[in-house]
Amino acid sequence: MPATLAQVRRVTKRLFRWCVVNDRLEEKRARAVIQRVVNAKRRGYVAVLSEFKRLLAIESVKHTAIIDSAVPLQIDLQTRISDGLERLYGQGIRARFVQNPDLIGGIRIRVSSDVYDGTVRSRLAALAASFGIRSA
Amino acid sequence: MNALISLMVAEPTGQVQQIAKTFGVDWPHLVAQIISFCIVCFLLHRFAYKPVLQILAQRQQLIAQDVADREKIKAELEHAEAERRRIVLQAEDKATKVIEEAHAAAARLLEKEMQKAISVAEQVITKAREAASLEHDRMLAELKREIGILVIEATATITRKMLTADDQRRMAEETVKSLARAA
Repeated sequence: MPATLAQVRRVTKRLFRWCVVNDRLEEKRARAVIQRVVNAKRRGYVAVLSEFKRLLAIESVKHTAIIDSAVPLQIDLQTRISDGLERLYGQGIRARFVQNPDLIGGIRIRVSSDVYDGTVRSRLAALAASFGIRSA
Repeated sequence: MNALISLMVAEPTGQVQQIAKTFGVDWPHLVAQIISFCIVCFLLHRFAYKPVLQILAQRQQLIAQDVADREKIKAELEHAEAERRRIVLQAEDKATKVIEEAHAAAARLLEKEMQKAISVAEQVITKAREAASLEHDRMLAELKREIGILVIEATATITRKMLTADDQRRMAEETVKSLARAA
């Protein structure tokens, strides 16, 4: 088992790659990896699990879309949004709908570093920026 | 002398005898008096007149000396006066030159100080203008910011109240369309 951080990263990356099939994370494989590492309890297994968790979190963020809306969205609209996201980011994308009244109106879709913002709050922020106000 | 008297007495005219007799002239006495007078004159000349003349000559010499000295002193005085006048004129010239130079230096200094003061004043005015301009800009920005905050707060409040469910859906669909366009 690895002793240094570089070794931990290298081993964890190999394990993680084994979990990804067709550019999608296989949940079963990931669970199996975690189970085997925990059972083996070899030297540095905690560090490996931490690194594995970090990679899973990154992967999860990459494949999770957060849709903020001021009011609850109708089911048909949610479906349309999910379909659009799958067309754009692939089948593995998961949509998480969050209600945020502070947005006033419209929706904001965030996928990793991509943002599609059609909220009133963002337009007010742009207006505030034109007035020289940093945060509205 | 007696021969002379005898000769006179022996004159045939006798007129002289007559006159002498009329005026009471006694020839021996007269001759004796003349001789006495001559002796007196000699003595006076010898012991009185000469010393007096000597004293007078000395006095005259002294007076001449005094006059010469006085003339000399006068000449020296005039010379000194002329010298004084010359020195005074020279001093006046020098004083005039010094005063003119002082005036010129003062004028130059005044001009220099004036230029310096004008420069400082211009700098102060420029700085004041810049400061006023900055303050004006700052106030404008502050005002713009305050107005912006009010506008945004008012807009947010009004929009929150005015947006209907249809508006919300329409806005959400716009975002969905932009997502579809990106795909």
